[in-house]
Amino acid sequence: MIEVKEVEKKYGKKSVLSGMSFTAHKGEVTCLIGVNGSGKTTILNAIMGLTPFKKGDILIDGKRLHKEMYEKIAYIPDTMTMISSLKISEAFEFMNDFYTVWNQEKAQSLLTFFNLTTDMKISELSKGNKAKVNLVLGLALDVDYVLMDEPFSGIDIFSREEIANVFTSHLIENRGVIVTTHEIQDIEHLIDKAILINDGIVVKEFNAEEVREEQGMSIVDVMREVYRS
Amino acid sequence: MRLTLDSRAPVYIQVIEYFKVQIASGELEKGAEIPSRRELANTLKINPNTVQRAYKEMEEVGLIFTEGNMPSKVTKDEEVIKAIKDALLQDSITNFITSVQSLNVPLEAIIPLIEEKYKQANVQSKEEDND
Amino acid sequence: MSNFLKLFNFEWNRFIKLYIILFGLVFIVQMIGLSYLIYDYKAMINLEIGKNHMSTEQFVDMYGMFGIDHLSISILFIAPIGISVAALLFYVPFIWYRDWFARNTFIYRLFMLPTSRMNLLFAKLATIIVGVLSIVAYQLILLVLYKGIISWTIPTAFRNDVSVLEMVMESSYLSIVLPGGVMEFLVAYGLGTMFVIIIFTAILMERSFRWLGAFLGALYIPAMAITFYAPLIIIELFYTSFPLYANELFYVFLVMWIIITVGSLLLSRYLLNRKVTV
Repeated sequence: MIEVKEVEKKYGKKSVLSGMSFTAHKGEVTCLIGVNGSGKTTILNAIMGLTPFKKGDILIDGKRLHKEMYEKIAYIPDTMTMISSLKISEAFEFMNDFYTVWNQEKAQSLLTFFNLTTDMKISELSKGNKAKVNLVLGLALDVDYVLMDEPFSGIDIFSREEIANVFTSHLIENRGVIVTTHEIQDIEHLIDKAILINDGIVVKEFNAEEVREEQGMSIVDVMREVYRS
Repeated sequence: MRLTLDSRAPVYIQVIEYFKVQIASGELEKGAEIPSRRELANTLKINPNTVQRAYKEMEEVGLIFTEGNMPSKVTKDEEVIKAIKDALLQDSITNFITSVQSLNVPLEAIIPLIEEKYKQANVQSKEEDND
Repeated sequence: MSNFLKLFNFEWNRFIKLYIILFGLVFIVQMIGLSYLIYDYKAMINLEIGKNHMSTEQFVDMYGMFGIDHLSISILFIAPIGISVAALLFYVPFIWYRDWFARNTFIYRLFMLPTSRMNLLFAKLATIIVGVLSIVAYQLILLVLYKGIISWTIPTAFRNDVSVLEMVMESSYLSIVLPGGVMEFLVAYGLGTMFVIIIFTAILMERSFRWLGAFLGALYIPAMAITFYAPLIIIELFYTSFPLYANELFYVFLVMWIIITVGSLLLSRYLLNRKVTV
């Protein structure tokens, strides 16, 4: 379980996270929904120890982040995490050198699934294909938790479909997934829990199937209700 | 396999409904294997946990059954299948009557229309099958 | 292989392109310089002895003998060294900033490696130090080569067989990068390493606190320089006569060196683990 407790962060005088709290569980897809600038990326960076925060606490399976935990939790940010002058094979080699949980076979099969080959140079790939390589680098780590930041943004429709397939595949089986988006349509039926974020706090946390069953509302309906009030 | 999801209704219930139609129509024969949880999630682009829940409910009402580690199968119980078919039929007819009643047309006027449309639809679906 | 060595190897491979360019540049430009000098000197021999019937002794009196030390005042010899020094100095901040600002944000990956972040710093530091040392070694090898070329092209009577070592000692540029004794060598490179570590810390301050950090970093560098020279400043201010022997002064500086280097590393570790942001 990933527990985010009352996390606060400021950039200068501007508050980006103002006491954010939520939990994400193993075996579930948790989706952080909010407009750009609502603090989605910042909280993922904070969970990964890539940006410090002032107050609050973040626990992963009850423990604070330390360096060994990068073998338990992987992050696929909305930006390339590998040197683009490398070939994909060299990027894989780099991952294999540093992570004991790197799964070369999984990486290879994912790459094939995305119609890419290891001799390709990252810098020569299209934006969508770069995003896929980034995804492979994160998903081929045999970790318990995977964080994905805006996996669908700025990507063509076919790549979006391929990436959406990841959510129904064995790749995330039994893992805890946190995914952020500002457009819910792509993954509306793929997520378990939805967390609506606005101005650095959680405004609503709910189970998608429960609201459909108990209130006959879609995720967008709930968003409309929450953001209009 | 295709399913247009209503984003306001629970997905697991839509999955169950989908299976009921398939079973009642004979599209899925009794005792036939059904796709694995992950296969179905993949084809329908829905959360595997949701499929899991749908399968669990279907198993509880005896719509499908699982033996050991084998893939789940459609029930062999004719009674159950017949009951599903009846229920679906009842539902459809109730819906139909509700909408027709609001037009205030007597039953005698409707029956020939139904017969005609039904025949047309049958012919059409046969032609499609032959394509 | 330890994570430090893997990272060092990786950083080194990223550095190698720039390095090969530098190596090539140094060799080509210096060879042009040397060829020109030799050509010029031999043309002069032909003119004065061949045409003007000057004797060898008169010629040597007038133009001097040709030795490798001729090179050290040639702009074509010095310029590539200057460019190399500038490139290496540029690389000190570049080795960090490239990971944040290049076409890719590799810093995400580096910070998410299951290893101490100090290994990143040490790998980058080692890349710079080994880079400097190997370009110095390369220059020495080139000098030996140039000496061979000279003895092959200039007749013995006109040749001054200055050794490479003598040349280095006499050249004010070269003696900075290649101090004569072991002790001088250690002092020069010890100071250089301290300098790079201080710059690294200042960069990490900027990467942690952005504008405020840049300001702090800009203060940190001169502050450390002053701290290092503090013993001399104190003596200057409070003593009328110099109270220390040379070797005592050396130990005082050694202590200052240790304090600043270790302090700067500890500060860097704190920033890397607690304050830095992608």
